Amino acid sequence: MFNRGFEMRAEENIIVAKAENSGHFLFISEILNRPILSASGDSLGKLHDLKVRLDEPFPRIVSLAMKKRREKKLLELDWGLVESLDTNRIGLAAEAENSFRTLETAPDEILLRDELLDKQVVDTLGAKIERVNDIHLLIVNKDLRIVHVDFGMRGILRRLGWLRVSDKIMNWLFSYRSEEKIISWKYVQPLLSDPVKKNLKLNVTARRLHALHPSDLADILEELDQVNRSSIFRALDLQTAAQTLEEVEDPKLQISLIESAPDERASDILEEMAPDEATDLLSEFPSEQMDRLVRTMEKPSRDTVVALLKFKEGTAGSIMTKDFFAVTADTTIGQAIEEFRATTFPLESVAYIYITSPDGRLRGVSTLRHLITAPKDARLGTLMNERLVTIDPQDDVEDVAEIFKKYKFLAVPVVNSERMIEGLITLKDIMESQFEE
Amino acid sequence: MRLPKLRLHWKTVLLFLTVAGPGIITSNVDNDAGGIATYSMAGAHFGYKLLWSLIPIMLALIIVQEMSARMGVVTGKGLSDLIRERFGVKITVYLLFAVVLTNFGNVIAEFAGVASSLEIFRVSKYLSVPAAAVIVWLLVVKGTYRSVEKIFLYACLFYITYIVAGFLAKPDWGTIGRNFISPDVAFTSESIGMIIGLVGTTIAPWMQFYLQAAIVEKNIAVKNYRLARMDVIIGSFGVTLIAAFIVLTCAATLFKAGFRIETAADAAQALRPLAGKYTSALFAFGLLNASLFAASILPLSTSFVVCEAMGWENGVDKKFSEAPQFYGLYSMLIFLGAGIVLIPNIPLFPVMYLSQVLNGITLPLILVFMLKLTNDKKLMGEYVNKKGYNIVAGVTIIILVALTVVYLGLLLGL
Repeated sequence: MFNRGFEMRAEENIIVAKAENSGHFLFISEILNRPILSASGDSLGKLHDLKVRLDEPFPRIVSLAMKKRREKKLLELDWGLVESLDTNRIGLAAEAENSFRTLETAPDEILLRDELLDKQVVDTLGAKIERVNDIHLLIVNKDLRIVHVDFGMRGILRRLGWLRVSDKIMNWLFSYRSEEKIISWKYVQPLLSDPVKKNLKLNVTARRLHALHPSDLADILEELDQVNRSSIFRALDLQTAAQTLEEVEDPKLQISLIESAPDERASDILEEMAPDEATDLLSEFPSEQMDRLVRTMEKPSRDTVVALLKFKEGTAGSIMTKDFFAVTADTTIGQAIEEFRATTFPLESVAYIYITSPDGRLRGVSTLRHLITAPKDARLGTLMNERLVTIDPQDDVEDVAEIFKKYKFLAVPVVNSERMIEGLITLKDIMESQFEE
Repeated sequence: MRLPKLRLHWKTVLLFLTVAGPGIITSNVDNDAGGIATYSMAGAHFGYKLLWSLIPIMLALIIVQEMSARMGVVTGKGLSDLIRERFGVKITVYLLFAVVLTNFGNVIAEFAGVASSLEIFRVSKYLSVPAAAVIVWLLVVKGTYRSVEKIFLYACLFYITYIVAGFLAKPDWGTIGRNFISPDVAFTSESIGMIIGLVGTTIAPWMQFYLQAAIVEKNIAVKNYRLARMDVIIGSFGVTLIAAFIVLTCAATLFKAGFRIETAADAAQALRPLAGKYTSALFAFGLLNASLFAASILPLSTSFVVCEAMGWENGVDKKFSEAPQFYGLYSMLIFLGAGIVLIPNIPLFPVMYLSQVLNGITLPLILVFMLKLTNDKKLMGEYVNKKGYNIVAGVTIIILVALTVVYLGLLLGL
């Protein structure tokens, strides 16, 4: 919290310093509904909305939307034709009067009042969903830009017109001024409500979401409504989507997210997930749907998942991962390092290196430490430890947890009756299975 | 090839059971302390005269609840959330003031229900009400509410006693029938107030917020919407049936004996044909359950509604420091509501009844917003209101506003 405050203040100072030279700030609530005057001073209508194009870090207002008395239709005017702007009126240039047109928005444009004000957005710095109470704008050389978004109580009071009164009361009673809660636009991910244009727009802006940790993204998805949830999920790239899906705790929600994606993307995401997680998720589906999803997956991941799906829930086989690193006993350290470089397994799966006989039977274990410290030409067979603790795929998960408690291993191999390695259970797998209960 | 058809049928039943709940729970909470008081008084003071009004009320209830459920399924958002997004912060804040005030009236009524039910067992309200407030507060904050909810729901079987007692009291079915065919309404402030109260207690404004939130929480897919609608219709029908039997039982016993309800012990006498000497205990138990059930839901739902619209953190899984507004409002509603009941000599039954009249007066306001939202094509897509819905809801609004104007006019002696 404190860090964030400091960061924000520092950043504001920069903008404030810039602003002092050439421009000033105002809140959108201070100009909405103000009269729009022609060059000759006639009132044409009221300022109803502002439109921005999302092509710059701090987007520029490109046009305004005006509402005439007793008319429903909104009229659009380029922002360049605005001559003067303050909290009482908006003055137009002489040629403005003939330049009004019917309001339209392109996919990369949003209307601030209609699509941002009072709506929910993702605050990617605080990793939270917030509601927009006000929008802070900066005028520099006639350009009007979004710089901050207001999530705080002061924003609400300002909109209600109670800010001055409440400040006076608070100051008189407690000598206290309520704190601003504003955040830079660069941390704001709009969610947008128009379902038709939304997907396009989200793709333009969804880059910000990738700055979030998958577990924060999962929390945010859990908190959002169905519509926004699935459109955000759709905007994520495959890898982020897969990681996020792993972090979502509610299986029902996982299912609804996977269902919201088209089959092909759904199976791509499943391929991208850790095989044990993907298997857990697949086993929650009704069998027809599961079969269909598995069939659309591609070869290596599909085989792994099919193999994992055979194990019953609550057995070691059902929570094990297929990501393990095994070499034969006559491999040299140098060769092993080369092979190791080619793997993309998560760290907890490669803490141990398994050594097998040429026919694939597990003989011993070595550690990542050996790969780094031992001479390049040493053979792994000479470095391995042959005293092994192993798990049978049919073992109960509870018993496996006991093994982890007793030996404090980072991972334990799962071998079948022929001593062939089937997979690996990591400390992370067992922790997840324990916390689920 | 009959088999697949049968299987499909069973699938639908199973699916219904997963979707069902919000409508039926909401209806049972609807028969809260204020509800029991209002229905009892309607029967005891007006006989069978107002029984007919429950038919149009049921129709309006179904339509209104269906709109809440539909909005919940289609948008996945709560009612206050939608109001804030569509109408802006200004309108939302002022509307929420009205909603919180009305709901606060209902919270007071629930604690009045606790006080008056336990007074039958000669437990002083200065003991029962603070104890109930603390229990309810802890139940929700400590997250044990979910496990207790089932007990509350089963205890709602108590309402069946009214159906049995209703038959045992041998009501005059002929008069009842005649009243349905040609209802006569006396234009006194008392009877108009009672009609507003009957509408307000059956179609309580807070129920619409609560139902929509419950539907959203269930994450019902749009394609299963018709099942959610079934749930709502069954619930609405059930609540009206029970309401009708409370009115009927009280009419057949208390009204016939020329009895006026001043306290819970008076209202309990309606069950005498069924329960004999256990009458008071049975009624006290039912009223206590209804009061506690609603008292655990209502303040919580109100805090959710406010925080959701204002964008404040909410939820009982949050710590106090994370969601101060949520816990603050929640605690204030409970302890202030309980505190008001502790005022010496406050008439408990009239308080319960008046809170329902307040409901009826606020309802049209909420309905206007619901109508606007459910007719918004951008929001509801192909699920916008059909014409019939707009007519029924519109007529409900007009009648309620008219009744309120006449009622206030008569009260002020204009």
